[in-house]
Amino acid sequence: MNNSKEQNEKVGVYICRCGSNIAGIIDVEGVAKWAEGNANVEVSRENQFMCSSTGQELIENDIKEIGLTRVVVASCSPHMHEKTFREATERGGLNPYLFEMANIREHGSWATNDKEAATQKAKSLINAAVERVVHHQPLDKIPVDINPATLVVGGGITGITAALELAEGGNKVYLVDKEPSIGGHMAQIDKTFPTLDCSACILTPKMSDVGNHPNIELMTYSEVESVDGYIGNFSVAVTKKTSYVNDKCTACSDCEEICPVSVSSEFDVGIGTRTAIYRPFPQAIPNTYTLSKTTDDSQCVAGCPIHQNAHGYISLIAQGKYEEAVGLIVADNPLPGICGRACAHLCEDVCDRGNVDEPISIAYLKRFAMDKVGDYELQRPENEQKQRVGIVGAGPSGLACAYDLRKNGYQVKIFDALPTAGGMLTVGIPEYRLPKEQLEKEIGKIKDIGVEFKLNTKIGQDITLKELEKQFDAVYVATGAHEERKIGIPGENQDGVLSGIKFLRDVRLGNKINLGENIIVVGGGDSAIDTARTAKRLGAKNVTIVYRRSRKEMPAAFYEIEEAMYEGISIEFLTNPVSVNGNNKVQEVTLQRMKLGTPDDSGRRRPIPIEGSEFDVPCDNIIITIGQRPDIGPLLLKTNKWGSVEVDQVTLQTSRKKVFAGGDCVVGPDTIVGAMAQGKTAAESIHRMFQKLDMYEGREKEGAYYSNIKVDLDGRVIAKRARIPTIPLEERDGFKEVNLGFTEEQAQREANRCLHCSICCDCHLCETVCQPNAIDYSMEEETVFLSVGNIIVATGYQLFDSRRIPQYGYGRLDNVFTSFEFERMITASGPTEGHIVLRDRKTEPKRVAIVHCVGSRDLNYNEYCSKVCCMYSIKFAHLVHEHLPNAEVYNLYIDMRTPGKGYEEFYHRLLEEGTHFIRGRVAEISDAASQPEEEGKLMVQVENTLIGKQQRIPVDMVILSAGMEAQADSAEVSHLFKMGCDSSGFFNERHPKLAPVATMTEGVFIAGACQGPKDIPDSVAQGGAAASQVASLIGQGTVMMEPVRASIREDDCSGCRICNNLCPYSAIEFIVDDEVSEVITALCQGCGTCVAACPSNAIDGAHFTNIQVISQLQGMLWDVQPEPEKANA
Amino acid sequence: MKYGYYPGCSMEKNARSYHTSLMSIAEPLGLELNEIEDWNCCGATEYFSIDALPAYALVGRNLALASEQNGAERLIAPCSACFLNLKKTDHVMGEYPEVNQKVNTALKAGGLNYQPGSVSVHHILEIIVKDVGLEAIEEKVQKPLHGLKVAPYYGCLIPRPADMESFDDPEHPTSMDGLLRSLGATVINYPLKAQCCGGHLTQISEETALELIRRLLKNAADNGADIISTICPMCQLNLDAYQDSVNAHFKTKYKIPIVYFTQLIGLAFGVPEKELGIGKEIVSAQPALAKITNKAPEGELAY
Amino acid sequence: MSQTLATRTSSFFEEIVAETSGIGANLNTCIQCGTCGGSCPSAADMDQTPRTLFAMINEGLREDVLKSNTPWYCVSCYYCMSRCPQDIHITDIMYALKRMAIEAGYYQKTNKAKAPEFSETFIGYVENNGRSFELGVASRYHLRYHPLGAVKMATGFGLKMITKGRMDFTPPKIKGITQLKAILKKSKELGGEA
Repeated sequence: MNNSKEQNEKVGVYICRCGSNIAGIIDVEGVAKWAEGNANVEVSRENQFMCSSTGQELIENDIKEIGLTRVVVASCSPHMHEKTFREATERGGLNPYLFEMANIREHGSWATNDKEAATQKAKSLINAAVERVVHHQPLDKIPVDINPATLVVGGGITGITAALELAEGGNKVYLVDKEPSIGGHMAQIDKTFPTLDCSACILTPKMSDVGNHPNIELMTYSEVESVDGYIGNFSVAVTKKTSYVNDKCTACSDCEEICPVSVSSEFDVGIGTRTAIYRPFPQAIPNTYTLSKTTDDSQCVAGCPIHQNAHGYISLIAQGKYEEAVGLIVADNPLPGICGRACAHLCEDVCDRGNVDEPISIAYLKRFAMDKVGDYELQRPENEQKQRVGIVGAGPSGLACAYDLRKNGYQVKIFDALPTAGGMLTVGIPEYRLPKEQLEKEIGKIKDIGVEFKLNTKIGQDITLKELEKQFDAVYVATGAHEERKIGIPGENQDGVLSGIKFLRDVRLGNKINLGENIIVVGGGDSAIDTARTAKRLGAKNVTIVYRRSRKEMPAAFYEIEEAMYEGISIEFLTNPVSVNGNNKVQEVTLQRMKLGTPDDSGRRRPIPIEGSEFDVPCDNIIITIGQRPDIGPLLLKTNKWGSVEVDQVTLQTSRKKVFAGGDCVVGPDTIVGAMAQGKTAAESIHRMFQKLDMYEGREKEGAYYSNIKVDLDGRVIAKRARIPTIPLEERDGFKEVNLGFTEEQAQREANRCLHCSICCDCHLCETVCQPNAIDYSMEEETVFLSVGNIIVATGYQLFDSRRIPQYGYGRLDNVFTSFEFERMITASGPTEGHIVLRDRKTEPKRVAIVHCVGSRDLNYNEYCSKVCCMYSIKFAHLVHEHLPNAEVYNLYIDMRTPGKGYEEFYHRLLEEGTHFIRGRVAEISDAASQPEEEGKLMVQVENTLIGKQQRIPVDMVILSAGMEAQADSAEVSHLFKMGCDSSGFFNERHPKLAPVATMTEGVFIAGACQGPKDIPDSVAQGGAAASQVASLIGQGTVMMEPVRASIREDDCSGCRICNNLCPYSAIEFIVDDEVSEVITALCQGCGTCVAACPSNAIDGAHFTNIQVISQLQGMLWDVQPEPEKANA
Repeated sequence: MKYGYYPGCSMEKNARSYHTSLMSIAEPLGLELNEIEDWNCCGATEYFSIDALPAYALVGRNLALASEQNGAERLIAPCSACFLNLKKTDHVMGEYPEVNQKVNTALKAGGLNYQPGSVSVHHILEIIVKDVGLEAIEEKVQKPLHGLKVAPYYGCLIPRPADMESFDDPEHPTSMDGLLRSLGATVINYPLKAQCCGGHLTQISEETALELIRRLLKNAADNGADIISTICPMCQLNLDAYQDSVNAHFKTKYKIPIVYFTQLIGLAFGVPEKELGIGKEIVSAQPALAKITNKAPEGELAY
Repeated sequence: MSQTLATRTSSFFEEIVAETSGIGANLNTCIQCGTCGGSCPSAADMDQTPRTLFAMINEGLREDVLKSNTPWYCVSCYYCMSRCPQDIHITDIMYALKRMAIEAGYYQKTNKAKAPEFSETFIGYVENNGRSFELGVASRYHLRYHPLGAVKMATGFGLKMITKGRMDFTPPKIKGITQLKAILKKSKELGGEA
């Protein structure tokens, strides 16, 4: 301790006994005496209660009489009494900042029972305070004006109360809620305990008051993005989420009635559904609609190369709106019925339903809609354009390109070498999969909108590309890939070895083929299956497919493989031909067994020959279907080493400016939609070229992409995919179509399996019925900035997720319900109109068990008691008695907790009503019957702890009284508003007893269940309390703020500007002329970041100057001997 | 993949078919199992009831031998009780220095020493599901178990290994479900799949045990099981050997064969029944196995 | 149980904490919810539910607790333990109570389950051979403690097992039996408490 007086300050030290709180542990007299030893200390006293008036007078008098210049009080935390003693100091005639406090209670006597250590620490703390205080400077508080506007976050009953209180007082209030309507959880509740008032009846009037109040600006479906500033002057950024509905909405509900989407309702929790465009509940405030729509498309739409709106037509089919479905389909797709039959349906591979059970049968649903409606019209151009486009190849790619160009009004002519249009569709896919009539019909529809066809015209032979370039403003080349690749094995060129693609073409064109009885088909793709099944239909006895990998790797559609086997075609997996034997005419083929090695770049495992496993199989024909390659011929177009045309990856432009190319002749053999997608891309490029638009901008999402939507798959009911009906085997000798298509009943059921990944299905039907034109798909999210003086956070709670306790069976056992499901069920306006029924929506339960403490009082979940569950559980019991007088009700509790006005009386009432109260925490709920009387019941297994026996209670319905939890995002939210939250996520109040709604941040208040579990009366009380604290601040007009601010010594500042960017409040600006930085005192919060960062030591933090802090540390370490200087070698 | 292998007493005789079936699928699964030389009994559920430290020491010897013979390799136990005792001893020695010190003092008397944590103990089910993986298993399937309705039975100690982390859900384990599905079998979901088989109560309070066994059989039967697949010799023994006693005692007529999951894997891999020890079970598995067809039943079919 | 409760003596609780080498230390945080008794598959045969036992332990009713048959019916299924909201290591405590009951020589009088005898017979073989011996254990234990069981054994269950070749006739023995005996001997000297 300091025995030499370097400052001529007179310090008075006052040590508080705080009754026995401090004196019980710390030797107060001793310390007081000891303190006198410090050279700077003029007087050192101890007193029973320094905070008492006598204690304070002590200080005042000593200043006046002894002429103290500095004051130190050693007592409790500055949180308690720093203000008190500063005022005493001031009354004595000193600047209040010439005072320093030492906390020897919370940091001393309360922290330990070790008197010795506590006393020693008290000495250090006091000595530190003395050493510090002598360096204190007189400071003046900074006045801050309070902006009278207030932000209330959260529109539950707490926020509503606070907002109304303030608004009534004539103050501006912004009320922000992330939901489309205010009301919070209270709006979902039927009756309130213990008085059994109708929750809605007491809440909705307050809600409409909020809606109508001139001083309240309601911002629903919005979230606070950022908060800057300090008490009196906060600036808050609020993001308004896109509702796609503008303020013209009259809530007429026309849109809701036509919307085909049905998803689980947030408001009716587990037991109700809502449409994509919706109003949470009839009394919603604001009374308007909201369209929920994700930014990404549904998986099926995103995964489809042409972005066919499958989600849309599936939803419409589910509603029986077939005409509308077809309208949606043909908008994207000129080959609807064809795709409905022969598409590789990549959409189904990514369909999220597949993660529940099986993907939706999307392609067949499209076929169903087209068949059902029969006739349709493709879209016609609104106005004609003069530009002409020549398309080479009438396959899917050319046709898709033609349609999109035509829609834009361009003049389109398609050339094809074959006598019929359709390309591979006609000559590549057998008729039993794709009937001729279907093709002709859809080609006809394309002709109908004015697309010209010129067939039997081979490019480079009957007409050259040069000529086309002359005749047309742009050319799209999509000649496909019609040449079969060879395997490259001995004997491959003999008679009887056929190319699969040529074989199929000849069959479709009716050319003569002589086929033997024993056929070997080589390959594993769809064309292998097509070839095999076709050969069978042409009368071949034995058809065998040989494929070099295993079934798992086989690229052909699973369903096709099944059908082929069903038709008696055998498949030899892991087998490959090594040579074809015979003299100019095939007699047999030598096959070899393979095994799988490591994956190749296609991701499939590479087949490796097994030496010595060769064996011979006699056969009449071998048909090779290992893939086709393009046959460009003399096209004068740059090609790559595989003979494919080279193009710009984005625009499909070729080496010749006006010529574009796509489809199989560019990418090699691909799916129908793959080829169509390229056609569409080319059409877009040609359009951009004609309109002189940027050729590249914003084309990222052309073609298939991965959608980032995550759908909650939990607790979905397994519903198997519908199987397409087929014609019986005996009718499969000819080329009659095998698949019959779904029945209407099948289609409806299948369509209803859709999970609606993107919620809104983009069918735009709502737009068509909305008279006031309130629906605006172009709407975008906007951010608004608010200036407010105070903030009240009332973000409420979330319900514990009962799925987390598997032994209670929620989500697995149908008739286990959560408390909120029951609330909605019991509400007259709820999904069951107030009837208590099981999941089947019919049966009334005869026995109901209500399980307390679900997720509460449990170290595995939440350690705390959730406070309200006992009361709402007995309320449930009462409501069951009321609705079902003959039902037996069991309440299973650990301890019955009913503190509160009229609560115990309510419990008493239920005892009289005959509820069975069984003391014991439920161990498990199962549907496993072990006795006859348990069959078909839910068994609630529990120890009846009052009897000390295990009990199995058979019931029909279980209600889980789940506890209250902090909102999932409470940690981020607490960070946003610069307040703390406890380990359970509830926000920290400034003081548990004395400041329950204030936080550690001035001007930020908390109220309601976000601070801890509480019921409605407590929440309302807190809402009011927070409002009145804010009102008091507004009333004061200005508040004095701690003068703890940074200041820069101009002479020492090097102008390095390091501090400028470091300041979290951007309170430092750089004065260019003087080349120094300067602190804007109004913005500075005194955090000290800049002080620590300044390399030239030019920044002082008032009241935390280096000398002050260092002297304090030195004073603290008075009894530590400094280490002797080590001699530097 | 190399592992230390601790068979446990049951595998020697009463659960021989568990051992042989495991051995016959080890190779196709790519598991190299090195049996701990001269291992001793794990004390089952009995030793801890009598004397704690010797119980730990008894297991300690096995752990010591394992680490000595297999370095830091992973140790596999097919019996749930063995698995738990081995894992628990290692765990407790690691958590409670006093126990560790005493056990090692005892081991020293036998010239042994064990460093807690130097051997990581796993049940064979975990290894097959996690290390080998369902993908690899699917590929090995030659005779899918189409049409066979199997009830996977987990018992207690695998889903709930005392206070230690389990690789599966303690209330509703599913690891074996997936495994059986990949063999082509139809998997029965029944609530009691992780309930107790009666343990040693068959010996000391038969009536109690019989009631527990009855509940299990009933629940599996009610949900349409043809056969029950077990992962523990004790479970197999109780459900199989006491099924007649249950029928006699409760006037029931259960005839549900109880086999080891390794036997079912073997069948799907096309291993001959004899090699798998099929036939050693007291309730014959034949009627159930006769239900296996070569076509996946409608609805089971992937799209 | 005595008519009126003895005043709490904490020593019994501490005894259990020691016997479990600390694993049972939080037994005194039991909130008497009955999750254990509700989960227990053999609760029906217990004279006290586990929960009751814990209340008794916390009131220091040593004799009543050690005479209870409850621990002997524990099948160590660990349901109580994995569900206990207070994270109490119930199963380990049950094992400890068994050991303490044997030591106190209480169990014979009260419990109808013959668990201790079975356990002792079982480990008898383990200590002498290093391996368990089902046939030996079963027959010897039954012959010694309930001959009726032995008859049932020999005719029913046992017979089937033998015909299926699932039982050894001679006890297996490990090579390092002397080593094992040395280890066990030492561990017993160090005291059952671990």
